[in-house]
Amino acid sequence: MSEDTRKDSYEERISGLTSAEFAKALQTFCDKIDIGDAAQLNSCVHCGLCADTCHYYLAGGESEALPAYKLNLVSAVFKNQHTRLGRIAPALTGAQALDADMISRWVDSLYGRCSLCGRCALNCTLGINISRLIRLARTTLASVGLVPPELQSTVSTAVDKGNNMGIPRQEWLDTLQWLDEELQQEVSDPAAHLPIDQSDIRLFYTVNPREPKFFPLSLLATAKIFYAAGESWTFSSDYYDVTNYGLFSGDDQASGVISARLRDSMHKLHANTLVLGECGHGYNANRWEAPEWLAGAYGFEVKSILEIIADYIRQGRIKLDPSRNQKRVTLHDPCNLVRLGGIIEQQRFILKRAVSDFVEMYPNREQNFCCGGGGGQLSMTRFAKRRIESGRIKADQIRATGAKIVVAPCHNCIDQLSELNKEYKLGVEIKTVSEIVADAIIIGH
Amino acid sequence: MTYIEVGGKQLELNDEGFLNDPEQWNQEVAAILAKTEEGLENLSEEHWAVINFIREHYEQTKLAPMVRSICKTTGLPLRRIYELFPSGPAKGACKLAGLPKPDGCV
Repeated sequence: MSEDTRKDSYEERISGLTSAEFAKALQTFCDKIDIGDAAQLNSCVHCGLCADTCHYYLAGGESEALPAYKLNLVSAVFKNQHTRLGRIAPALTGAQALDADMISRWVDSLYGRCSLCGRCALNCTLGINISRLIRLARTTLASVGLVPPELQSTVSTAVDKGNNMGIPRQEWLDTLQWLDEELQQEVSDPAAHLPIDQSDIRLFYTVNPREPKFFPLSLLATAKIFYAAGESWTFSSDYYDVTNYGLFSGDDQASGVISARLRDSMHKLHANTLVLGECGHGYNANRWEAPEWLAGAYGFEVKSILEIIADYIRQGRIKLDPSRNQKRVTLHDPCNLVRLGGIIEQQRFILKRAVSDFVEMYPNREQNFCCGGGGGQLSMTRFAKRRIESGRIKADQIRATGAKIVVAPCHNCIDQLSELNKEYKLGVEIKTVSEIVADAIIIGH
Repeated sequence: MTYIEVGGKQLELNDEGFLNDPEQWNQEVAAILAKTEEGLENLSEEHWAVINFIREHYEQTKLAPMVRSICKTTGLPLRRIYELFPSGPAKGACKLAGLPKPDGCV
């Protein structure tokens, strides 16, 4: 199906929704709202301070991108459903029914002008978790099959094929075997290799499928670090995908199916620690959200690879020579890893020991700006132009540092940053933390 | 919506510069996309080896090949692929071969 046909049929779906589908959407909306959400949906005082927190609004200046506007789209439906005045006299209270027009506005603003980055929520004077409420609206749309098709396709591929790029098992294994040769050359040891399905080990390492598919140098870099540290670790032959696009589509059921797989791999491998590769939303989804979707705690430890690498440095398990990375390096903070994930200082600890010239961009840490690629934006071609436009804020931040290398511990961000590099002519290289560490590592120290 | 003109016909590109209808692809399309999307004025034998393999693989399987298969078939080293296509295997090489944008973080 061509893109255009896909676009038309999606819009036709919205205008042709049946009353049963509206009822189902509303039921999902009401079921998902808890008492805390209800309080927050009634709390916005329209102070407007959220405007300057949103990269969409800062870059484009459209009122449909204002966080308060987006929140109001959700509050309007809540008031229409749950307040007496909102039912009797919607016009007086700003209440509005969830009809086809409202759904189109939800799609346009809540899928199309938000990366769920959480910066508005962090800076809201009343502490309203705006991005959580936007995701709740996405969950409502997902319940009646209204996730934009390009985003749904990535979720469906993950559910149906076991990873979000649909990589067949044999091709994954062939790629790992091929990387064995590269690793052996890299560390000058013919016995070096990438372990698969080893059990009773310390770490089970998970990856973003775009690494084996198109960008395997980051896998090689991590394998080199594990080799240097003498780590007991493994890949899994079946489920190894750290991503979970259900977090972005809003589909809790799919999110649960996907996250159960890494848990099951952990049990199969008898590993101590689930190690999440450099993937922002994969960290948030698997570290914080998955126990909610799975309705139970994991019973094992979950760590970011950044925590593991930082530990190696602290414990002297790897030695780094920062003079091997001479160019100026800056760091991008992926929203889901940093603001929403809590992994803030480890990457800085690592970079200060792996490169000779490290500079921060501003603002940084939990106040970082989203690169524009999160929240499923990278998938949704229909909103691609807005994505690139919203990334101008990040491009300006990068340019101001004078850095030649941007390190980003997230493959989703890396793809967006690569596009920004081209669009805004930044002239930078973009690397993972593992890649920059692997370049500095002293083998056989 | 953007268009490119190939052999007197207007072909549609989506908002990310991928060919809207992969069936409209031919080598002339690849050469034009190389200029407009990748800034490549001329495609070398190495470029064509990669593009033609990706296209053949797609026509057989409806999928983009793994970068490993691209290297094994063309004999090119991995790092050379990134030099040849500045936007990488997905948004560079696969786009020039007329494939739809792959699922995932691309």
